[in-house]
Amino acid sequence: MAAAAAPTRAPLWRNVRFLRVLGQAAFVALLLVIAREAFLNLEYGVRRQNLDLSFDFLRQRAGFAIKEGIGYSPSESFFSAFLVGVMNTIRVAFVGIVLATVLGLVMGVARLSSNWLVRRIAQVYVEVVRNTPVLVQIIFWYVAVILALPGIEGALSLGELAFVSNRGTAVAWVRIEDGGPAFGLSLVAAAVVAAAVHRWRTRVNERIGPEPRQPWALGAFVLVATAGFVLTGTPVGVDAPVVGRFGYSGGLELSPEYTALLLGLVIYTGAFIAEIVRGSIQAVPRGQKEAAEALGFSPRQQLRFVVLPQAFRIALPPLNSQYLNLTKNSSLALAIGYPEIVSVSNTIINQAARATQMLLLVMGTYLLLSLTISAGMNALNRTVTRRGSA
Amino acid sequence: MSGALPEDLERSIVGVAEEPAVQVAPTRPPLTLGEWVHRNLFSSWFNGVLTVVTGILLAYLGFRLVQFVFVTADWSVLRANLRSYMVGRFPNDEIWRVWTVAFFLVVLVGISRGMLVPPPPTRRGLLLRALMGAAALGATLALVESFVVWLLVAVASALYAAAVVGGRLAGRRLARPILVAWLASFPLIIALLSFGDVGADRWGGLLLNLIAAIAVIALSFPLGLLLALGRRSSLPAVSWFCVGIIEVIRGVPLLTLLIFGRFVLILLLPPGLTFAQLVRAIFMFTLFSSAYVAEIVRGGLQGVPEGQYEAARALGLSTTRTMVLVALPQALRNTIPPMIGHFISVFKDTSLLAALSFSDLLFTARRASQAFEFVGDQAEALLPGAFLFWIVAFSMSRWSQRVEGRLGVGQR
Repeated sequence: MAAAAAPTRAPLWRNVRFLRVLGQAAFVALLLVIAREAFLNLEYGVRRQNLDLSFDFLRQRAGFAIKEGIGYSPSESFFSAFLVGVMNTIRVAFVGIVLATVLGLVMGVARLSSNWLVRRIAQVYVEVVRNTPVLVQIIFWYVAVILALPGIEGALSLGELAFVSNRGTAVAWVRIEDGGPAFGLSLVAAAVVAAAVHRWRTRVNERIGPEPRQPWALGAFVLVATAGFVLTGTPVGVDAPVVGRFGYSGGLELSPEYTALLLGLVIYTGAFIAEIVRGSIQAVPRGQKEAAEALGFSPRQQLRFVVLPQAFRIALPPLNSQYLNLTKNSSLALAIGYPEIVSVSNTIINQAARATQMLLLVMGTYLLLSLTISAGMNALNRTVTRRGSA
Repeated sequence: MSGALPEDLERSIVGVAEEPAVQVAPTRPPLTLGEWVHRNLFSSWFNGVLTVVTGILLAYLGFRLVQFVFVTADWSVLRANLRSYMVGRFPNDEIWRVWTVAFFLVVLVGISRGMLVPPPPTRRGLLLRALMGAAALGATLALVESFVVWLLVAVASALYAAAVVGGRLAGRRLARPILVAWLASFPLIIALLSFGDVGADRWGGLLLNLIAAIAVIALSFPLGLLLALGRRSSLPAVSWFCVGIIEVIRGVPLLTLLIFGRFVLILLLPPGLTFAQLVRAIFMFTLFSSAYVAEIVRGGLQGVPEGQYEAARALGLSTTRTMVLVALPQALRNTIPPMIGHFISVFKDTSLLAALSFSDLLFTARRASQAFEFVGDQAEALLPGAFLFWIVAFSMSRWSQRVEGRLGVGQR
């Protein structure tokens, strides 16, 4: 073998660092060429339709009515209409997330119940709901259940506090009177006092050892809140709905579309959350529970102080993705005409034809919503992990 | 539950959590009926009350359900539309194509299933299956008026049973041919269904959902694999690009992507180059799906121990060969459960085609519910559609559990 003088530097075409730079440059150049081509095509196509790529059209008068949402009239701009859509998405997503979590928690715990019947019912719920498309469920609730309800004249009532008909649902709601804000402050004060009392009792218990449980904190809360209620002179009342000839008046009114969408999303997502809850509780190593038992924890205490905190930490990341899914699935409202982001944008596209800009706006908004939810959940995740590892 | 946590998390990220592996408990003497009832239904007074209350509720709901199905419901809307539910407006003269595909798939599924059957099914499982088969047969007899269709269904059922038995007898020997047959079946099916004058515009009903799902799955798997490898690339330009694409796609609803495909995609292409609406929808759907496939594959790759890479390097394998020969085979095996979960999601999501007015199963069912002569039968029109979606998705998820158990995923 010829002992060639070992080159101090590899030739350029065999220099890994150089090749990496070259490869990336070529990749970026290729992307830029494709992007430029696509953009030119887009510009050409848009110009041929006598349109443009600016966002100026958002200031034009919308001219279409939106069935629900606050502070909007057809004479306002496309952008206002879009904002109403965003508000409606947030309205359904927020309530949906809360309700789906509650339902999922109940069903997840039911799946681990020691009662065979309860366990089986929860299992059937999960298996049926999870394997049926959510859009099918939303349309089913809307077409076959809500719209098939009796008309407003035959509205089904629940003790005069809630009415259900094909015009939607109306439920009794709190009515805030003059003293409302002051009462709100007193509630905050009550919570602060309750927290202080809780901390005080914990410290006392640490010193003198456990004692029979007394609801100290709850008592303090009720005491302060009641005082606030009396002092501000019955600040909140009940606003019961009344059935009129053409619709409800008073109470909290939910449109048929909102009700159907909410039902569909909550029941669908609830099934996935139930599985997360079950999986997380089962994923806590059995030794943890046994160790707690060995330390003399009661079954309730084992669950409260050992199993659930760990299960919660396991459940958070998948829970986050379910919340994101629910928010994204709310776009399916397009099929039943609930005016959320996609629905409103679809109308705007039909009227103003600027599909490119509208879709960029819609996707940007969803990314923002997703990021917000993820940021919130990540913050929660951080507190939980920090507290756990401390 | 060995190593259940990371997989559970991965699965939940895709949105489908599967049942964890069954725990093997030490054998106990079987309980008598009385003991069983006491232990499972009335172990405490609270449980007793719970049992009674839920029992009454369940009995009432069950009664109403039976009453609805057999007494109050008017299934004439289904009888009139059954054909549209299955195949949409597929021309009558060409329907043999669909039947051919159906027979082909029945045999393929049957053999695969037979091969994967773990130790003999329990008596209860057999009973359940017999009951379900009888119910399906009864429903077919009650709903279908055509004798020819009865005959074809009977032949298909017989073929299926024969294939399952054949698969069980053949065992693992058929593994490779079956895999090849599955891979070949996708282009074959598409060709058979689009050859001649039955183009994509005539597909409808469940047929359209299935074709769309198969196309999206077949196309998004390689694309997702590429994205996942790109994301792990050591070249920042490539990995940032892939991360960007994956995260943007996962952050927006599928529906907005499909609307993008409908209105904007065509403008990005060179003028004069056009594609059918359905092709564009499937293209966007594929993009969407591959972002999720990429995340699943990435999860699988992260599950491959570092030692495997080091061992491959010690053997002198190049980066590419390490990936292809060492990392990917192990990673892909671990991704089977979440991957099938994702494929089920894809099938369910094909119902979104209805929101874009493609005449898929959901669209057909909804249109049937709006027909003038069937006013008041909305539930009868929609429920069978929902049931068809459910039965396909549910069978797939059961099947994935079987495969999972068979491959011993998460146990090695």
